[in-house]
Amino acid sequence: MFIGAIGCEPLQLARVHLEHSHSLEVYQQHGGYASLRKVLTSMSPDDVISEVKKSALRGRGGAGFPTGMKWSFVPKDSPKPKYVVCNADESEPGTFKDRYLMERDPHLLIEGMLIAAYALGAKTNYIYTRGEYRYLIDIMDRALEEARAAGLLGAKILGTEFSSEVYTHTGAGAYICGEETALLSSLEGLRGHPRMKPPFPAVSGLYASPTVVNNVETLTAVPDIIRMGGEAYQRLGTEKSGGTKLWSVSGHVNRPGVYELPMGYDDMEKFIMEDCGGMLGGKQLKAVIPGGSSVYIMRADQIIGKDVRMDYEGLVAGGSSVGSGGFIVMNETVDIFESTKNLTEFYKHESCGWCTPCREGTDWLVKVFKRIANGGGRPEDVQLMLDLCDNIEGKSFCPLGDAASWPIQSAIKRFPEDFRKHLMVNGQN
Amino acid sequence: MSTQLINIQPMSQPVDIGDEVASFSSEVEAEIDSHLAKYPVMRSAILPLMFIVQRERGYLDAPGVAYLAKRLHLRITDIWEVATFYSMLNTTPVGKYHIQVCKTLSCKIMGEPGITEHVCGKLGIKPGETTADGRFTVSLVECLGSCGTAPMLQIGFDYHENLTPAKVDQILDALP
Amino acid sequence: MSTEVIKVNVDGMDFEVPKGARLIDVCRDKGYDIPSFCYYADLALQASCRMCLVRIEKMPKLQTSCTITCTDGMVVTTQSDEIEKAQRAMMEFLLANHPLDCPVCDRGGECELQEMAFDWGGLEERFTEKKNYRPEKYLSPMVANDPQRCILCKRCTRVCDEWMGEDAIEAGGRGANTVIGTYGGWLDCSQCGNCIEVCPTGTLLDATYRHQARPWELAQTISTCTYCSDGCQMSLGARGGELMRIVARDRYVNGLNGEFLCIKGRFGHPFVNHEERLRTPLIRYKKGGKLIPATWDEAIRHVARKLDEVVDAHGPNALGVVGSPRITNEANYLLYKFATELVGTEHYTTTETFDLKPFFQNLGAPLATHRDIRYAKTILLIGGEPEELQPLTGKQIRQAVRNGGAKLIVVNSVPIRLVEQSAQFIHIRPGTENAAVLALSDKASSGVAASRLGIESSELDTVRQTIADTQGDLVIMFGGEISGDAQAAIAQLPYSLRRDGLRVLLHPLPLHNNSVGAHDMGMMNGKMSAVQMLDAAGDAIRAVYMAGSFSAEQLRGREETLAKLDFLVIQELFETETTAFADVVLPAASFAEIDGTFTNNDGFVQRVRQSIPPVNQAKADWLITAQLATELEMDFGFNLSASAVFREIAEQIPAYAGLRYPVLKDESNPVQAKYRIAEDNDLSAELNALREVVNAMPDTAEKLNATPKVGHELFKLGTLTDKVPQFHLLAAGNPRPETVRVSPLYQITVDESLRHEVAAAGE
Ligand SMILES: Cc1cc2nc3c(=O)[nH]c(=O)nc-3n(C[C@H](O)[C@H](O)[C@H](O)COP(=O)(O)O)c2cc1C
Ligand code: SF4
Ligand code: FES
Repeated sequence: MFIGAIGCEPLQLARVHLEHSHSLEVYQQHGGYASLRKVLTSMSPDDVISEVKKSALRGRGGAGFPTGMKWSFVPKDSPKPKYVVCNADESEPGTFKDRYLMERDPHLLIEGMLIAAYALGAKTNYIYTRGEYRYLIDIMDRALEEARAAGLLGAKILGTEFSSEVYTHTGAGAYICGEETALLSSLEGLRGHPRMKPPFPAVSGLYASPTVVNNVETLTAVPDIIRMGGEAYQRLGTEKSGGTKLWSVSGHVNRPGVYELPMGYDDMEKFIMEDCGGMLGGKQLKAVIPGGSSVYIMRADQIIGKDVRMDYEGLVAGGSSVGSGGFIVMNETVDIFESTKNLTEFYKHESCGWCTPCREGTDWLVKVFKRIANGGGRPEDVQLMLDLCDNIEGKSFCPLGDAASWPIQSAIKRFPEDFRKHLMVNGQN
Repeated sequence: MSTQLINIQPMSQPVDIGDEVASFSSEVEAEIDSHLAKYPVMRSAILPLMFIVQRERGYLDAPGVAYLAKRLHLRITDIWEVATFYSMLNTTPVGKYHIQVCKTLSCKIMGEPGITEHVCGKLGIKPGETTADGRFTVSLVECLGSCGTAPMLQIGFDYHENLTPAKVDQILDALP
Repeated sequence: MSTEVIKVNVDGMDFEVPKGARLIDVCRDKGYDIPSFCYYADLALQASCRMCLVRIEKMPKLQTSCTITCTDGMVVTTQSDEIEKAQRAMMEFLLANHPLDCPVCDRGGECELQEMAFDWGGLEERFTEKKNYRPEKYLSPMVANDPQRCILCKRCTRVCDEWMGEDAIEAGGRGANTVIGTYGGWLDCSQCGNCIEVCPTGTLLDATYRHQARPWELAQTISTCTYCSDGCQMSLGARGGELMRIVARDRYVNGLNGEFLCIKGRFGHPFVNHEERLRTPLIRYKKGGKLIPATWDEAIRHVARKLDEVVDAHGPNALGVVGSPRITNEANYLLYKFATELVGTEHYTTTETFDLKPFFQNLGAPLATHRDIRYAKTILLIGGEPEELQPLTGKQIRQAVRNGGAKLIVVNSVPIRLVEQSAQFIHIRPGTENAAVLALSDKASSGVAASRLGIESSELDTVRQTIADTQGDLVIMFGGEISGDAQAAIAQLPYSLRRDGLRVLLHPLPLHNNSVGAHDMGMMNGKMSAVQMLDAAGDAIRAVYMAGSFSAEQLRGREETLAKLDFLVIQELFETETTAFADVVLPAASFAEIDGTFTNNDGFVQRVRQSIPPVNQAKADWLITAQLATELEMDFGFNLSASAVFREIAEQIPAYAGLRYPVLKDESNPVQAKYRIAEDNDLSAELNALREVVNAMPDTAEKLNATPKVGHELFKLGTLTDKVPQFHLLAAGNPRPETVRVSPLYQITVDESLRHEVAAAGE
């Protein structure tokens, strides 16, 4: 599997190929913890937030919310403790970048978290990792131990007045716990149901205290932003989407992997056909889901010759979105009805069951998909599915309901023939 | 209304809670303490502790649940509601080796059906079942974050990726 | 909520509403019908059913009005095609896996889901897939469960947690597999059944009423509970002279308890139509003989003659009249009148052992209502265990703490469950409650009191500090452990605590539904208590006329003296230990068969209404007394109606002045008796007596450290609950049957002993 940068110098992936890249020693040899030192010795918390704002870094967890702005929502005068929580739940189908960041460069995450903790005044921080990533928790725990022993974590970090702790926490198998408020419920030892917003976590999050939840990739971008300055980081990408972005590429390409691309990389066709080694077995490209399962699926002809720019705005213009950067490539052998059924089963399995439309709607949709797959399709089913999606979208308690609807809506719209095929009885509609 | 005529889906409700409370070695207790020490609120440690109980006792059995309730000062219902929410927590026994084959999209298009068929054929069970000797349970699970190295399966916590039937044989045969 | 007023616009109309108001409440209040299932006022917000969607200007997507706090200038649309489509869609989703078995569902006719479906009309059934099936089963002897009908609004789990503090029922599983249930599938709790009450569908059901009747066949009568002194309002559902069920569902009744009832109120009613109810008057013509059925005429004549004989031979004081804290004010009042006006005896009382006289004589502040408790800032609970003995009070305390941020101080010899909610728990030695009262009334006695209580005196200082810091209401509650002198002291505490910004309210916790009323009717003014009367039986007391029976504790060891009475006449529902000694037993009507009033521990005078005709030949207690009086040639003048009796009560009892049944008509606006607020009395005599008692207390008693199990009082079998088979199961520890697919009652054999080999039917 490929891991590396294309079209720019690697930032987050700079050390991943070094031997013992996960060790403190190697990390420090390659400039590690210099940003933390810089922050602790020469910057105020507000300076840090302002650099992050200048960097135009947008959250890499999927929602793309500007990170600096999120940090600035944390009330400064709150008497309550504050928390930085790293979202390492990474359960979005097609997404696996956080895994390699933590596996290969755990200290980068620790450094990023500590900088965030300093900016926000957090004394306790958690890394919420999905339960299946047990080996990553072990890696993180060892790295945390190393950092603690080296005075980089815990009391009086680097001999300054700043003290902060980072702990790992394990999930136990629930995609919804990637949603930030569900994550906080889970971290409090409850069922992983999302919570009402407002209040937003920045005001009332973990233990009803101000909390910032950020994705692994978001936090690991921070040390570079501090090192090179927010503006320089932003310039690597576009005006509204600063820096570089990791893409987890899977499916029918010759070279799947984790690709670090500058934001605004053009174009998607070149990315698939050249950077990713082209289509597996020379087959025809049929569809791409560019941002993890929860985004609109794209037809090959929306990509080929269309110069789709790979950043937030470019992908929206191209008919989809960045999401978590889980880039799933499908060739002509894939039946989009089947692939959509597969994802719908995923959402049904992962619906937390809290709200009516998502719980009942995904269950119903799966039943319709199964019936059609078993040859019991009816012509009106397509309309039924679209209407069910419409009834879920925008009405559910959290965005999972929307995420379940979008793949179906876009698939039906963009690959009607794959659906129609299944609804034909004796060759007729 | 006669209920016998309809196909009954068993509910994931474990056995009655007895009076027995599990106990653990001092090392395990120390491990549990180290988790509790991380949080200002005890209840937060529920998932890490459940994994420990599950590791030590095979699954969240009644004495294990009673232990958790006692240790975390929670009600039995609090344990039950959490245990049944998360897919990695087992409230019924599973085999010594829990083989979890990822069935989500990337794995699916990269050959999961063949892998599942091979594993199940080799063990003589269907997904969701446990072999008679209690060694293996096979489950189909949702995306495990190995899409770039699909198809894959996880045994316990160990990732096995870029699978072929031959590689599956090797892995299974090497298990102690 | 602040008093600041803001403007909102709903469907084109401008309204002024208090700042902080919840949108759904505002819309409903103004007459806009917003559908909802999960929203329930005063419970944690859920926002999961997604029925209450509205459109709010400048907000993306439809919004759930249950979660929206109104802001100034908000413009809201509650009706549009878009909204109706969304709401219909939610209904369609909810009905998709619902079995649609309304014709066989106990809730059919009063189901919110069904009602909504009817109201919408024209719901297309597009769901043609196989429904997710889940078998119906029992969760306990009281609660049946059909999980397939569940819409997961989680009202049940929230009342279990927030009202009851039990958290016995929860959601398990995930997604479409979510079910409401319990660990092990068996419900171990106080069995209040509030989860049943608040369930909008037929998912949680009254297991004792399973398949017994359809709601529309039932005549619903609003009445007052006959168990504890909280006086919950309830709806008695009767069909053909039979009481079928009791609910508090607020479409029927809207009393001080909302939809709350406890196990006894809800499930304790089958005694009413029980086959062991007395059938006719019974006369024992000679001592040692049998009780023989008689006609009413004969029995009344017989009793009148016998009482005449006793009074003639031994004077009026030889006749003891005993009322009851369980019967109506009307019945107690007539007994009082009978004793004082007709007979002229000084010996009258009730079987209540918690004499509230010293309390009311010294009453220095109004009684707290249950609403006051809910919004109190500080609650001081001395002795007592409301969760088991006055469950509504228990619930109000918990909500005051959890939803209102009140501070609860518990002074108790056992760590009762409410301690979980307390800001301070003073763990005292058993039997030393009076010392705590003394310390609060007289700071100088703190030292000695603390030594007897087995606490640090600083703990008492903390209480004083909490009270000193309280802005708003302080409610002082006390249980039956408190002596008369201590009651007087508590009643006067408001004077010593008097201060700006603090309102002190008092809340006694007597045990019975009409303990307060029995006091008010004057029945506690006599010269002997029930026990004293028993001890004097055959001596100073030659005959007793009583309504109800002596309690087991009162009777224990006094059976022989009781047998010495020349004549004992009892009005009862059932044969009891006391009736074994009776010469005449008159069948009395239960609360479900009569009109009248009970006065609760808020001082609310609340109506009891007749739901069914008297069972067998039973008569209302007051009527029996009136007829006996007539036979004794004193016409009380109201042989026809309880309301006439009540008119006289209102004329005679100052606290009840001006009350009439029509004034008490509306259970949602209960009327409090106007108790005289006593002066700042000189209590030195009482305090001195209290000091002596406290001085004499040992300071060696061991403390009790175990928290009693839920239900330890509620499940105790009394004369009435003994008639309910389910209570026997609970008293036996609520064992889980081997299969929950059949009625747990299969466990009880005819003689009501537990049977262990359960029929395997259904599994
Ligand atoms: C259903 C759902 C699943 C999500 N899963 C993840 C996830 O696995 N990892 C993640 O970082 N963010 C996930 N998110 C996004 C988070 O809610 C949140 O936006 C993110 O953690 C914020 O971090 P960022 O600002 O760094 O992106 C998910 C959101 C939803 C609605
Ligand atoms: S949309 Fe509703 S049911 Fe689905 S995951 Fe979010 S809260 Fe849970
Ligand atoms: S009432 Fe608002 S979502 Fe249920």
